[in-house]
Formats: sequence, C-alpha cells, structure tokens
Amino acid sequence: MSGPADKRPTLLALTSSALLLPAYQGVRADAAPEFIELGMRYSKYEEDNTQGSKTFGGSSQRYDIDAAQFHLLAPVADNWAVAVDVQWEDMSGASPWFVGQSLDGGPKVIMSGASIEDTRTEVSVTTRYYYDRGNAGLNYVRSKEDDYDSNAIALDGSFNSADGMTTYSGAISTSRDDIEPTQGSVPTNTLKNDKDISSAWIGVSRIVSKNAIVRFGLAYTYREGFLTDPYKKNDKRPGERNEWAFSTGYRHYFFWPDGALQADYRYFDDDWGVASHTLNLAWHQNLWRDTQLIPFARYYSQGEADFFANIADTDKRYYADDYRLSSFGAVTVGLRVRQQIGNWAITAVGERYETDESWGVYSGDESPALVNYWRYSFGLDYVFR
Amino acid sequence: MLKPLACLFVALCLSGCETVQPWERGTLAKPGMQWQTDPMEISLQAQINASKEASSGGQGAAGGGCGCN
Repeated sequence: MSGPADKRPTLLALTSSALLLPAYQGVRADAAPEFIELGMRYSKYEEDNTQGSKTFGGSSQRYDIDAAQFHLLAPVADNWAVAVDVQWEDMSGASPWFVGQSLDGGPKVIMSGASIEDTRTEVSVTTRYYYDRGNAGLNYVRSKEDDYDSNAIALDGSFNSADGMTTYSGAISTSRDDIEPTQGSVPTNTLKNDKDISSAWIGVSRIVSKNAIVRFGLAYTYREGFLTDPYKKNDKRPGERNEWAFSTGYRHYFFWPDGALQADYRYFDDDWGVASHTLNLAWHQNLWRDTQLIPFARYYSQGEADFFANIADTDKRYYADDYRLSSFGAVTVGLRVRQQIGNWAITAVGERYETDESWGVYSGDESPALVNYWRYSFGLDYVFR
Repeated sequence: MLKPLACLFVALCLSGCETVQPWERGTLAKPGMQWQTDPMEISLQAQINASKEASSGGQGAAGGGCGCN
C-alpha cells in the first residue's frame, strides 16, 4: 500500500494534482484553468407531428429548433477565470392552443395554426475565483426573445473539508423576466406582464472510495408574478409557486472495462400539486486512449397539477389544459461520442424522447398534446495548449 | 415521510465512506467521474426538459426563465 513515505517523483506529481481535486465538482474543478478553452455546438431539435386522431383539423407540425452554442473559458490570473457562453436559437412551428371535446367525447387538441417564428439569444458571463479549498463564482445571464426578456444573477461557492473528502456547496440566484406576447394568429391572455424567480441550493458531496463518489443536494425556488402561459386559450395559474427538489448522484469507476457508471436521481415537489421523479443513467466507456462512447437513458414521471384538466373548467379560480401540467411518463435514450484529436475534440450526440401517460407512476387523464422529439448535436472543442 | 427517509439515507451514505488519501484519488479525476462531463450538453438538455415538463432544476440555483414552448 502506498503512503507518504514511499512517494516517488511521479507519484508526488500525481499527489499534487490530486490534492486539488474536490469531492464536489461543478462545471470546473477547483484548480483555475491553465489554458484558454473554446467550444461550439450545433443542435437540431425536431418534434413529431401531432397525430391526426388527437387533433381537430388533422395532423399538425410542431416545433423545429436550430440551436448554436459557443463557450469560452479563459484564465485571467493565477486564481481567477472568466467564462462567456452564448446560445442562439431559431424556432418555428405550432404549439397547442387549447383542448376541446370531440363528438365522441374524447379530448382533442387545437393547435396555434399559423407557424410561430421566434429567435432567442442568451449571453452568460461568469467570473470565478479559486482559493485553497474551493472556488466562488458570480454569474449574469441575459436571455432575449421577441416576446420574452430575462435578466438573472447568481452567486455560488464550494468549500472542501480539511481532508478533501467532503465538499460543501451553495448557490443563490434571482431573476426578473418581462413578457410581452407577440400579437399574431391567436389571441393572447395578456399584453404585457412580468415575473420574478428566486432560488437557493445547497449540496454536499463525498468521496466514498478510491473509485466512487456520491452527492446530495436540496433546492428551493420561489416564482412570483405572471406564471400563466400567454399563448394558451384556457390557462390561468396561481401568481406564486414554491418548488423543492432533492437530488442525489453517484459515480463509480470500473477498472474493467475501463468505464464509469453515472447515476443521478431527483425528486421534485411543489405547491401546485406537481410531483416528479427523474432518473438519469449513463455509461462512460473509454475506448483506446482518446475515444469515449457514452450511452445514456432518462426516465421521468410527473403527477398533474391540482388545476389541470384536459377540458379546462374556466369557471374555476385557476385552470389549465397544458399538457406540461398533466400526468405522464417520459423515456429518453441516446448516445454521445467524443473523439480527442490533439488539442481538438469532436462530439456527436443523438437522442430520442417519448412520452405516454401509462408510463408514469402517477395516474391522470392522458393529454392529447404530449410531445415526442428527436435531437442531434455536433460539437467542436479546442484547447490553446 | 419522504424527507426523514431521505435525511437518513444521506447520513448513512456520508458516514459509511472509507478514508481515501490524496495520492489515491487519481481515478476520481477521470472524465467519466465528473458530475458534469459536458456543460454545454447538460445546459441544453436541462433547457429542453424544462420547456416540456412541469419540474426543473435541482442541480443548482434556478436562474432566469425563457419563453420556450
């Protein structure tokens, strides 16, 4: 068994870097980056058409989105780094407007009709300071769409225990969102409104063994203001929402076959009556020296909001027929491949998301507007070594 | 009922760890052992899921919203 007394120079080098390794790692480890890093991703997101049997007016096209992401991480001093992230999206298609009752009594969805066109640009700037036993970051995000403007600021920090076995983390954020719906093919339920979001999170992670690590987190989010969807005909939601999320994660490395199991679980609960379970599983397989093959799967199940009904009762104080507030289960399967070539890395991802009311652990009426989609991404990263 | 069970689970997990010396942590630095292996991928997935489902967050503070439908 190795110990401090028999460390060789190479082992000393490893020890030096390992001492910096925190039990909790966010986007980056505790050590400040040494080199400038650049990254870009292009993603194509395509929703399946709504089935003709579930709509009035036959099959209807839903959203297609093209998204481009850019990432820059740069050291600006020994213990200080700045990251800039930019995301641009171009979306077109139709979304569910409301759900009506067909002649046979079943619910059918009415789509928004004419294609909606919108673009979104998000700019995020983070400055991070690294100290002996942790790091702290300050983040500002601006998201701008034709009909939506969001400004958010967040502060986060992490602190390692003296033995480096445990890391305590925390974050707080606040945002102000302004909504001004585009007046177009369907009437909106507000002309101009706003909402505020405040959130706090605490986490602890712990090294379990030489090849396993675990973490736990607890998050609270408070939303206040106009929480209704302005483009839905039958939608009126409470002006406040309190959300709690408990999460846990586990990583385990297996020397054979040189791969790692990644497992994450989240339980979500709020005062609208929504509760959900989310389980993410991934296998990170190393192939040769520079290739990683990462199959992944996600299971999600949510219970419906107290005021959800397929055929909304607009005489009630609050009501919604939005499929996103209904009970359903969703399964995602996908594959991510990463190839390192010198200072370059190429990434490709493909995933399929499917929903069904019967796949959930909560009971409820199946919404005719549930969505399935494909998503493909391609990316390049470069490190200026 | 769930909250006390979750607290007990956390306490059992944290107390049951073996001490791992700094020079024994090389495996923990491997890419597959990170909480976020690809921040841009994680960010996009979280945004898509939040726009299609009623629950979101849990891995940090929530940040701002978007008009994503």
